[in-house]
Amino acid sequence: MANHLLEVRNVEIFYGDAQAVWGVSFHVDTGKIVALVGANGGGKSTLLNSISSVIRPSKGEIVFSGKSVVRLKPEEVAAMGISHVPEGRRLFSRLTVLENLELGAYPPNIRRYMKESLERAFDFFPLLRDRIHQAAGTLSGGEQQMLAIARALMARPILLMLDEPSLGLAPLFVERLFETIQTLNGSGITVLLVEQNVHQTLEIADYVYVLQTGTLKMEGRPEDLLGNPDFRQAFLGMVRADT
Amino acid sequence: MTGFTSFAVFFQILINGVLLGCMYGVAAIGLSLIFGCMEIIFIAQGAVMILAAYSIYWMFTLTSIDPFFGFLVILPIFFGLGWLMYVGLFQRVQKAGKNSSLLLAFGLMILLEHLMALIWSPNTRSVTTSYSASAFNLGRINVSVTRFVVAIVALAATGFVFLFLKRTMLGKAVRGVSEDRLAASLLAINPVRVSATTFAIGIALAGVAGVATCIIYPFDPYFGFLFSLKALIAVAFGGLGSVGGALLGGVILGVLESLSSYTISAGWADAVTYAAFLLVLILRPEGLLGRRSVERP
Amino acid sequence: MLRGIASKQKIGYSLGLLLLALFVVYPFLVDAEASYLVYFLYSTFIYVALAQGWNLASGYTGQVSLGQHAFFGIGCYVTAITWRAGLTGYLDPLAMFMSGVGAALVAIAIGLPLLAKLKGDYFALGTLGVAEILRVIAINGGHLTEGVAGISLPSSAYLSMRHYYFIALSIALITLALLWLMTRSSIGLALVAIREDETAAAANGIGTLKYKILAFAVGAFVTGLCGSLNAYYMFHIHTAGAFNLNLVVIPILMAILGGAGTFLGPILGAFILAGVFELANIWMPALHPIFSAAFIVLVALFLPDGIMSHITGHKPGVLRKMFPSMWVLKTDGKESSIGD
Repeated sequence: MANHLLEVRNVEIFYGDAQAVWGVSFHVDTGKIVALVGANGGGKSTLLNSISSVIRPSKGEIVFSGKSVVRLKPEEVAAMGISHVPEGRRLFSRLTVLENLELGAYPPNIRRYMKESLERAFDFFPLLRDRIHQAAGTLSGGEQQMLAIARALMARPILLMLDEPSLGLAPLFVERLFETIQTLNGSGITVLLVEQNVHQTLEIADYVYVLQTGTLKMEGRPEDLLGNPDFRQAFLGMVRADT
Repeated sequence: MTGFTSFAVFFQILINGVLLGCMYGVAAIGLSLIFGCMEIIFIAQGAVMILAAYSIYWMFTLTSIDPFFGFLVILPIFFGLGWLMYVGLFQRVQKAGKNSSLLLAFGLMILLEHLMALIWSPNTRSVTTSYSASAFNLGRINVSVTRFVVAIVALAATGFVFLFLKRTMLGKAVRGVSEDRLAASLLAINPVRVSATTFAIGIALAGVAGVATCIIYPFDPYFGFLFSLKALIAVAFGGLGSVGGALLGGVILGVLESLSSYTISAGWADAVTYAAFLLVLILRPEGLLGRRSVERP
Repeated sequence: MLRGIASKQKIGYSLGLLLLALFVVYPFLVDAEASYLVYFLYSTFIYVALAQGWNLASGYTGQVSLGQHAFFGIGCYVTAITWRAGLTGYLDPLAMFMSGVGAALVAIAIGLPLLAKLKGDYFALGTLGVAEILRVIAINGGHLTEGVAGISLPSSAYLSMRHYYFIALSIALITLALLWLMTRSSIGLALVAIREDETAAAANGIGTLKYKILAFAVGAFVTGLCGSLNAYYMFHIHTAGAFNLNLVVIPILMAILGGAGTFLGPILGAFILAGVFELANIWMPALHPIFSAAFIVLVALFLPDGIMSHITGHKPGVLRKMFPSMWVLKTDGKESSIGD
């Protein structure tokens, strides 16, 4: 049994009395890009939130690097090396680009490498360098997404979780975004990606899980899924049949 | 209505108001900070001020140490007190919603007031030093020494808080947590610790304002609520969320009080203040320096 | 109106009626002048009315009012002034009615700008500000209000404690009736809709301002009635008593303790809290305010949703909606922060 970096086992999640996730299991291996795709309301974001401990699952187990994270607080999970860029990005809009980045490296042991981390962030996202002292709230959607990812990177994470990063972005930015994710992965960061944009996701992911109304419907490598008629049918219009 | 017999008189009243306002400003900054971290108006701010006032009063009465040293003493003590209050009480109700925090603050205010009245009697106290009555002259304007020093301290306190928020990592974390607690925790920032720090600073500032109060005014245990109200009005004038704004709001309040007290009467001065407060709430709720992001019906 | 009541509720109503019958009979069984319980019930009935008045104005609309003492004070002064001027008499229903109406009119006058323009915390502060202005006006009202010393009324007119008791009971019952009428009708539906999500309610064509002002005014009317009765009881009205902050705080506490936004909650809360305060007063008179304040702290820590939510198991989450942050950017839930 291989040791996965992240393992989610039979997780059930409720919002009050309403069940959002029904017994879902999946895993993420080191160095890979794993994607959770599916329509809105499928439970994808909820799963990410349970991994970073924003919500607690009522049943099931979540194990990261061999340790259970279910009982931890969000800041403790983050300290373990998981950086979660949530839906809507949640930047500190009143703080400047630089301040957002600095807060990304807040913990004292990471703060030591602030200078290098900042340089690395600007290497990946050069357009941020010009906007250092601008308030984060004044950036465009695409720039904000870049900043959010850059901020998450400041903590030098082992696992980067992105929740619908392409949402609301102009097509040009979306392409650059996915290229950047690939480059990041190339430099050694494992990525767990939640997306509705199936086309681009299939191009970069190593493994894909399909979620629908809180259950896992399908899984597989992109090439296998594309050969699957059910998959093509479900995502008709999003993916060309002959790709 | 009394008119101003000369420009000098007008300036005198104005300066008095400014000096008075600096004191309101310090309490207002504390209030603003606490609002940023707990999203409630900390109604017990005034009671905490009076607690500090009593502390200095007893320190002065029993040991003859000059009250101005009180500023240095009060700061760390009240910081610690604030920390304990947050970690012990307010942190617990953070999840339950704002009404719990409000109720808690309110209960705390009454508890403090009555405890102080019980232990130290409801009689009015004041601190009189050898220089309490002395003043110096700026041209034709008479400036009270105590008020002047208090104003300096207030400005220094404001400066410190501003620098803290802007230049230190903890200060930035305070600003971040107050804007988006969850996002901060996702960055491995412990929101409880940061909020406790924020709250503690707010209480320390209330302490500073309290020291200033006891030097200038006579006070009693029930003075607190009125001061909370004044601090609140100052924040409304200046804009929630702005450190400079809180100070500015305090100064505006002080000037308004001073002017209306002189031209109309002390009784009506309050009404003028409240009316201005209402006007600001209705016409420009974000205050002078706040941001225009108010939800409108 | 009485459609489809479950049997459990029938038991509840029967108990309530029984209790009411006891309340009605009791003052005739004892010496009303000397009985402590009669006095206690008298003041508790008033608290029930005050708590329900606040409940209607705030608990059901979600707009917290901190200015109830203004309406109480208006009630006091209207009654005192008209009696002194010879326009009305002792325990005069006309005076009480005018007091209530006066308070309601002021509520409408301040409600129009405040409710239309202010939200959440701002509205609460606005009501507080208005109340303070009224207090200052009363202090500086010259011969009309006699300033801080207040107006004295002829205590020779005193009839009996029973009179006060039954008037207080009537006021409480009137309040409950009004509350019942309003909440069980389409008005109540609108109010709850407004409380839960005002934008949605407005989008659905509910004239939100109209309903909010109505609730506010009715709450004020009831509070004014209480003020009027208070004037008759104390025979002396002054600003410290008429505009006392306790009149804001205690009814709110009672409503919250019992469960704001529910029908029975404030009644329960009134009896419990009044009982707690009185017991504290009896057992440790010197410490009683401290004990009461500690009680408030405990309620805040452990019972923020009120007792009713524990009894019915239904957490209305009312109070979580009652203090929205001053700036809420609805799109991404960002709230206010500090720093320039």
